[in-house]
Amino acid sequence: MTAVSAPPRAARPGLGGTRARLAAMPRATRLGWAGVALGLVAFYIALPPIMLRTVIPSALLGVGALALGAAAIRGGAGRVGWGAVVAAVVGIAGAVAAVGSGEANLERVVVWSALAAAMLRYATPLLFAALGGVVSERAGVVNIGLEGMMLTGAFFGAWGADLTGTWLGGLAIGLGAGGVMGLLHAVFAVTLRADQIISGTAINFLALGLTGYLFIRLFGDEGTPNDLPEIPDIALPIGWIPFLGPALEQLNLMIWLGLILTAAISIYLFRTPQGLRLRSVGENPLAADTAGISPLRVRYGAVIASGALAAMGGVFLSIGFVHSFSQNMTIGKGFIGLAAVIFGRWKPGGALAAALLFGSSSALAQRLPVFSPSAATLFQALPYVLTLIAVAGLVGRSRPPKADGIPYER
Amino acid sequence: MSATGGGDGGQAPGTVASRLSGYLRGGGVLVPVITALLSFLVGGVVVLAAGSNPISTYRAVFEGSGLNWVFPWLSAEDRTLAALNLQQTLLLTAPFILAGLAVAFAFRAGLFNIGGQGQYLVGTIAAVWIGSSLGDLPALLHVVLAMLAACAAGALWGGIAGLLKATTGANEVISTIMLNWIAIWLGVWLFSVGGPLHSSDPAQESVPVSDDVEPGARLPVFWGDPELQGLHVGLFVAIGVLLVFWILLNRSVTGYEVRAVGFNPDAAEYGGINAGRTYVKVMLICGLFAGLAGALDVLGWQFRIATTDVQISQVGFYGIAVALLGRNTAVGTAVAALLFGGLINGTSVRNLDPTIFDPQLAVNLTLIIQGLIVLFVSAPVLITLLSPGRLVRRARGRPAPEGTA
Amino acid sequence: MRRGEVHALLGENGAGKSTLMNVLYGLHQPDEGEIRLRDEPVAIGSPREAIGLRIGMVHQHFMLIGVMTVAENVVLASEPRKGALLDRGAAERRVSELSERFGLAVDPRARVEDIGVGQQQRVEILRVLHRGADVLILDEPTAVLTAQEAQELFAVLRNLTAEGVSVIFITHKLREVLEIADRVTVLRRGRKVDTVSTQGATEASLAKLMVGREVLFRVEKEAEEAGRPLLEVEGLEALDDRGLPALRGLSLQVRAGEIVGLAGVDGNGQSELVECVTGLRVPAAGTIRVGGREIGGAGVRGALAAGIGHIAEDRHRRGLVLPFNLAENLALRGYRRGPLSRFGLLSPRRMRKRAFPLLQDYDVRGGDCDTPAASLSGGNQQKVVIARELAEDPLVTVAAQPTRGLDVGAIEFVHRQLLEQREAGRAVLLVSLELEEIRSLSDRVLVIYEGRVVAEVGPDASDEELGVAMTGGRAPAEA
Repeated sequence: MTAVSAPPRAARPGLGGTRARLAAMPRATRLGWAGVALGLVAFYIALPPIMLRTVIPSALLGVGALALGAAAIRGGAGRVGWGAVVAAVVGIAGAVAAVGSGEANLERVVVWSALAAAMLRYATPLLFAALGGVVSERAGVVNIGLEGMMLTGAFFGAWGADLTGTWLGGLAIGLGAGGVMGLLHAVFAVTLRADQIISGTAINFLALGLTGYLFIRLFGDEGTPNDLPEIPDIALPIGWIPFLGPALEQLNLMIWLGLILTAAISIYLFRTPQGLRLRSVGENPLAADTAGISPLRVRYGAVIASGALAAMGGVFLSIGFVHSFSQNMTIGKGFIGLAAVIFGRWKPGGALAAALLFGSSSALAQRLPVFSPSAATLFQALPYVLTLIAVAGLVGRSRPPKADGIPYER
Repeated sequence: MSATGGGDGGQAPGTVASRLSGYLRGGGVLVPVITALLSFLVGGVVVLAAGSNPISTYRAVFEGSGLNWVFPWLSAEDRTLAALNLQQTLLLTAPFILAGLAVAFAFRAGLFNIGGQGQYLVGTIAAVWIGSSLGDLPALLHVVLAMLAACAAGALWGGIAGLLKATTGANEVISTIMLNWIAIWLGVWLFSVGGPLHSSDPAQESVPVSDDVEPGARLPVFWGDPELQGLHVGLFVAIGVLLVFWILLNRSVTGYEVRAVGFNPDAAEYGGINAGRTYVKVMLICGLFAGLAGALDVLGWQFRIATTDVQISQVGFYGIAVALLGRNTAVGTAVAALLFGGLINGTSVRNLDPTIFDPQLAVNLTLIIQGLIVLFVSAPVLITLLSPGRLVRRARGRPAPEGTA
Repeated sequence: MRRGEVHALLGENGAGKSTLMNVLYGLHQPDEGEIRLRDEPVAIGSPREAIGLRIGMVHQHFMLIGVMTVAENVVLASEPRKGALLDRGAAERRVSELSERFGLAVDPRARVEDIGVGQQQRVEILRVLHRGADVLILDEPTAVLTAQEAQELFAVLRNLTAEGVSVIFITHKLREVLEIADRVTVLRRGRKVDTVSTQGATEASLAKLMVGREVLFRVEKEAEEAGRPLLEVEGLEALDDRGLPALRGLSLQVRAGEIVGLAGVDGNGQSELVECVTGLRVPAAGTIRVGGREIGGAGVRGALAAGIGHIAEDRHRRGLVLPFNLAENLALRGYRRGPLSRFGLLSPRRMRKRAFPLLQDYDVRGGDCDTPAASLSGGNQQKVVIARELAEDPLVTVAAQPTRGLDVGAIEFVHRQLLEQREAGRAVLLVSLELEEIRSLSDRVLVIYEGRVVAEVGPDASDEELGVAMTGGRAPAEA
């Protein structure tokens, strides 16, 4: 055997666990993250349950965060450093606002467990839509139609529940309807090689019109009945656990389902052979083709699944959260889901984190009218601003799967 | 995600504009007509499935749109009704023209501007703000100032997306969608009770609405009764902008650059054109168009904005369908805008006889038809397959001319 | 092809090598003919079928997923499993096993986009071997390798054939054929010229087979006195689109009244040189002077202003905006200034007025000012491009593959235009893959290899001489 050169030095371990990444981080980055943490703590101590009534400790912590941020920037970790600066500013400003507000108000609003539960509730529809988006885009098909598919699920879930008298029937029918919408998008995007953005937009219009049309036709002026079957909550006997207990003891089934699906899809995408193949189609369909995988078949499956997932979010909205259906009830949640996909860097775990972030923004917006109604409204715009920043690449590389949005032909 | 396809050596790169250019050229006027007809056909099936008669429904919609006003055989009584309807239709057509141009111009440059809605909204905000303040200005100046403010606001809104694309490569589809929603919440915030632009009229204290536009800043009505929301001169502004659009695109240096970048960024670069700078210019102009549409509505017939207006407005989105159906050309946009104006007016609660077709259903029918139009446009191959020219050529056994896109 | 041999497939660009192999791998369907594998006729409809027949292909442009690891890429579509999950450990072990056996050292855990090109190629080969291929097709494998890496590859190939794997090796590099192949089949313009054993063959004999002698209209030209240098390139260094060095200190000169031909195999830096000189690429180092004026980094407009004309090598991508009509295309260089435009407004009438005589003078057929460029034949499209460039009266015309895809009549026309430039005392830099063209037009012929000018010969140099220089056979000479 002819000798060849020694094996190359092992490259940095690929996408390993967080611990590995933390260990590998340069000093400046670590300082930056410490600054971010400090800034958030500065805010936290002014809120219940600690609720310090003086700004001084928060101010000190905030200044510390600023210093750490500056050090990080000087050390070369620009982005995290600026993040620390932002956190410091937010921390000090938030603390000032909290100290200036009445204790009673604070206690009413900042009930952490209730906030957490609300956050989960608001995040779940976003999460389902985002999971759909992740699956579709990982296979290389842009799905702008998440909003329409979610709305479809919302309507057909409600109608199905009414028809069959059970929530399970509603869920099944809603899921199926979402899958059909996904199929429509797949036909146009994959087989007809349409412009995926335009066909996705068309699906949104279609869904809006179709659901509105059927809603009026089938439910008339009275709307959906008051006794619409509801997806049940799951009661866990964990009320005794501090903080987590009250937050998690009475959550809807779909919320748990969403969390489970996040883990499941994550495992599927990154740990199973089928997931590997799906991702390869999204990165380089020609390479996948030459390896013997059928990009068309994979994409069809992914897009139909994404329709079903987005629809599940809609089903939760109509028969799990609001317990009725009204026209255009998703009002942009599908787009926030899309935002969560981008913000979460096309990973289910990231999408979950983004959905929680956006969900908490909505949860806060519900409670903020106690302080200031205008702030509450502005908070609603937060998810979109954050996504804008993400898309502009200001929070690290925001790179979609390489072949995302490009129709494939051999 | 990228809206532009990859190019391989020996082929023009697959930008949105160049892929659609085949659609633009193939079949001329016939293709959009076929698209529309197909969509109406499917819509008719939906009507049938709902248990109503498609023919009488469409006829009722047509009469409700007032387009029958041009028929010389109409009776005097029918004519006045038709006139009223036509005024309403044209009231909708004017902003649709502008919203359509906002999308069409971007498409020509290879960009997808879904942000027309947000650009429209900030236009309305600026217009209502200027229009309701500065009460001492002479009327003409006041109106012009309000319109300019709306143009500037819209341009700013569009420019943000253009700048992001040029500097960071941020996909304009995502950024404009986000800006849409930011604009909506901005509007809701501004006009809600306690918001900065909330009405100062004590009677409106608990109503989330803006101040009224001063009488001096309102666009004069030239046809119909001002009390009954007659047609204002904004229509001429829209037609004027249509001309500007055409001149800009086809007779100016900028338009040449825009079209070159839209068709083939590589060749444009070869000619010394900077794609990024072109994108910024285009988005500024598109935003301006959409903002102006907002001004026309606010200064022409709305005169005030409530938070509900902000949330249910769809003008910008209709602009997308208008531009696509009109193949991103001036004439096409005008005709498509008229079509949609007539459709929406004809299906409105005021005009549609409930015994023929439930108007609430009809609103959704319009959305379905709009969705179908956009869907069919998205797959040009579908339409060119059906285009008569191609079918005839196939029948005669002659291949398509060499080099056709 | 015989079992266990390394069989080289040799030919110039466009000879049909890649197409033939794509047919073998199921990426392309043949119109006629038969393939027999292990004495059985087969029809290969897709890569999956090819893989089933134990044929594997390593493409020139790698079919790898950058963000995935080596192991993941290798096992894609035939992954080892642990229950329902992907067994990463087993995949990595398999990669190590194959690496050991065939001498292809790679780190299974590394991400493909992080490793070098030479290693990426090994991943490709491993991918093919993992499927149990015993017929291995390599398409221009050394195009992206350094000399050292190429040697390592050859060692691997020898290991492979020792194990009974048969290798088809597509190349245009003569030296390699002699080094690694047992037999070689030479293709030219889609036809087989001959199949010979490499025993007793020389670079010269192979070059003759490959390049051949075609009878093309030889252009009569008068001897001209070359004047002052109009284009001076010194020490030019530049990176290509992948960030790898494409030009490594290239220097050349083109004088007034002469045509300098640049010969070389595709991928040795010609495109990057053309882009630098015409302002489409910013050089990393070195100078470019046109008529004494420095234009390196001045952009397209700067180059144009200094007097550079550019007949682009890809007229569909760079040369023309196909949906534009001819008048608009002809205005692509001059639309910004008068008389075509004034106060920012462009006048189609004036564009047409300028276009019409150009279309006449350059005998463009198949359309008029209003015809979209896409409707014209290739030859006429090229005429439009040339008309546009020469109408600006450039000092230096850079013509890159100007007659690619054209019929004889169009080729003759293009050649005549270039000669007229020469007669008018202008300079022409002709970059072409067609040796006949270079020889019949040029006053001097420079050979480019791996980003440098390695030889300067007269147009009457022999095929062998040129072929050898183009494939790196000679020591670098002064340009």
